Amino acid sequence: MKPHILLLTFFMSGFLSAQVSFEAKVSKKRLGINERLRIDFTMNTDGDNFEPPSFKNFTVVGGPSQSINNSWINGTRSFSKSYSYFLAPKKRGEFTIGQATIEIEGKIYKTVPVKITVTAAIDKPKDPNDPNYIASEKIHLVAEISNGNPYLNEAITVVYKLYVAQNTGVRNWREIDNPRYSDFWSQNIDVKGINIQQGTYKGEDYRYVVLRKTVLYPQKTGKLSIEPLSLDVTVEVPSNRRDVFGRSFMSTVNRTVSSKNRTLDVKPLPESGKPENFSGAVGDFDFKVTTNKQTLNATEALELKVTASGKGNLKLFKLPRPILPSALEVYEPEHSEKVSTRTSGMQGTISDTYTVIPNFQGSYPIPKVSFSYFDLKTKRYRTVTSKRLIIEVSEGPKNTSGSNKNTPVTPTENIIPTNLNAFSSFKTSTNFQPITSEPFFNSQLFWLLLLGPFLLIPFIIFIVKHRAIRALDVSGNKLRKTTRLARKYLSDAKKSLGQKEQFYNALERALHNYLKSKLRLETSEFNKEKIEELLGNKNINSTTLEGFISLLTSCELARYTPLSTVDMQNDYKKAASIINDLDKQLN
Amino acid sequence: MVGFSQNEQTFEQANDLYNSGYYKEAIDRYDSILEADQHSAELYFNLANCYYKLNEIGPSIFYYEKALKLAPNDSDILNNLGYAQKMTIDAIQEVPEVEVSKLLNKTLDSLSVDGWAVRCIALAFLFVSLFLGYYLSYSETKKRLFFVSSSVVLIVLFIVLGLLFKKNSLDRNTHPAIVFVKETGVKSEPNLRSETSFTLHEGTKVLIIDEYNEDWLKIKLINGETGWVTRSELKAL
Repeated sequence: MKPHILLLTFFMSGFLSAQVSFEAKVSKKRLGINERLRIDFTMNTDGDNFEPPSFKNFTVVGGPSQSINNSWINGTRSFSKSYSYFLAPKKRGEFTIGQATIEIEGKIYKTVPVKITVTAAIDKPKDPNDPNYIASEKIHLVAEISNGNPYLNEAITVVYKLYVAQNTGVRNWREIDNPRYSDFWSQNIDVKGINIQQGTYKGEDYRYVVLRKTVLYPQKTGKLSIEPLSLDVTVEVPSNRRDVFGRSFMSTVNRTVSSKNRTLDVKPLPESGKPENFSGAVGDFDFKVTTNKQTLNATEALELKVTASGKGNLKLFKLPRPILPSALEVYEPEHSEKVSTRTSGMQGTISDTYTVIPNFQGSYPIPKVSFSYFDLKTKRYRTVTSKRLIIEVSEGPKNTSGSNKNTPVTPTENIIPTNLNAFSSFKTSTNFQPITSEPFFNSQLFWLLLLGPFLLIPFIIFIVKHRAIRALDVSGNKLRKTTRLARKYLSDAKKSLGQKEQFYNALERALHNYLKSKLRLETSEFNKEKIEELLGNKNINSTTLEGFISLLTSCELARYTPLSTVDMQNDYKKAASIINDLDKQLN
Repeated sequence: MVGFSQNEQTFEQANDLYNSGYYKEAIDRYDSILEADQHSAELYFNLANCYYKLNEIGPSIFYYEKALKLAPNDSDILNNLGYAQKMTIDAIQEVPEVEVSKLLNKTLDSLSVDGWAVRCIALAFLFVSLFLGYYLSYSETKKRLFFVSSSVVLIVLFIVLGLLFKKNSLDRNTHPAIVFVKETGVKSEPNLRSETSFTLHEGTKVLIIDEYNEDWLKIKLINGETGWVTRSELKAL
């Protein structure tokens, strides 16, 4: 028997030890922050030294509670023992509930860690049996949105109000989940103090407190949801029990209240009439470009201020950049904001201040700067254009081409000459020429003047050559010389008609020279006989010969006899005709 | 001759108006001379000064450039053009050139085509007279002197002739223009749909290198960038 029992116990213990289980079971793995979670650590064999895990990120709202279940069914014993906890999450996120340990029959068993996802608060299904139900009926957190259908970048306000019914009280509250406005630019507006006001909620009288105000600027179009705010509120609820005076006892309940998930439908800004330079400004603005001085000396600094002021999404757009002449040195702007946020949105002034340094004298225009915004009142785009400014730089350094290159900011190398003198005034005199004049180049005159001189070369060479040949011909030269003299004296004679002496002198010389050239006579051999002989040899007819001789004699005679002008004229005519005749007969 | 003196009178009147600060009226007078088909560097210069005083960058630079075409080396024009260029917004970096081509361009720009033509003719005459001097002189030293100097002049003549033709072809092929509108987007293709490759502002000098139908001009900047703009935004020099 003994070994039998021993065997049995051996088997049983073997059986049992194989069956030991220690598990962690959660009521749900995914829950909203306003929900609670039950975790059971269950074992099928009794153990000691239970160690719960650290429930960080959770608040233990109930437990640990122990339960033991021991039953015999059809001779089979089933045993279970469990430790239960009720947990409320502290924040959103994914958490792991660590291992619990227990010592069973000398061995240490551990549970498997459990992953829990805590989401944003979810609408709790109503459960009339829930003890918190009364509290949930009596206390509400409401998010009021000023405009459910705003434009992109239009300010909207979310006001969180905690409504409390008249017969309940709130002792304390704590925010457990702050909504994240991921698609919005948001700013909380501090609510100072708790100001209990009277209001109605679904037709019933309630008291309410404004907990928080937030200004939102939607940054995306389409359906955007605003996450709810969750509060852990300690509520005093009247219970069914009453005291001897008939007043109900107040029972205190911890409740998590959440506002409902709200969805906004954000409208995009209209595309029609959208200016090119629109940078996203929505609201009502005034725009200015100012300088702190209009006239200054070169190398002095000037402040150029671009300002937008008014209501709207001031912090959410960039101011337009003025385009300045490249000859001005411009530094990066200093941005300043004087914006206060109220429930109606942002209000104030933003400005960009540029430091501008003109290096050289001259006048520099600052072109108009346009700023566009979407006007929510008229639902149209509006463009404000600043005035064109002109900066007069009066005195400048001259001939400072070197220093310009050392200036730190403008990296663009200017093609502009830097060493300028004073601006030259108008010119007083001019010579006009027709605008549509033919160009001189390629004109006929041009080619003539260009090539003409070259044609001149052979021409001049020809003349020079010809003259050289003639210079070599000595007798010919002599001949030409005497002929020329004869002509000269004859014309002298003609001039001195009436003056007897001079006339006959000239006439005689003319005749002599003529003969010299024609008969190649020398002055020494000059007498009438020789002339007669020579002319006779040349077959000159006798009348001409006689005429010539008689002329010569009359020249000689004339010196001693008085003669009238008529005679002289006759002699001149005679000389001319004889020379003419001789010319014909000699050649 | 009557017309001439009349224009000169108008010029003087315009100068008086300018001097008294009536720039708009002065511009009207100067323009009337231009309408009479007469021009001069001084006229363009005064006109450009008027526009400068009225802070109209585009016309101011346009007329300074016009004046510079007639008188390429006038220091007053260059000086005031510098003032006008300082008002412009675009700072375009020039493509760096080799020293030699820089020198060549500078030389070419120093005279107009007709200026070069006149120099050519003067050199031709000089050469011919020196050559004849060589031909006609008898002494050895004189002959040598004339020969050397005439051959130098001939070489110079050929160089100047080359410059003349180069300048002429350059003038024919480059059509500078000035941007007249405050701001213009330069398109990558000659239509309004294409994207804007860069923007230009008033007073910037561009070169017209091509055209397409009535409206579009292809331009090139001195930094080598090209693009298309509408004809109305530019004014060709």
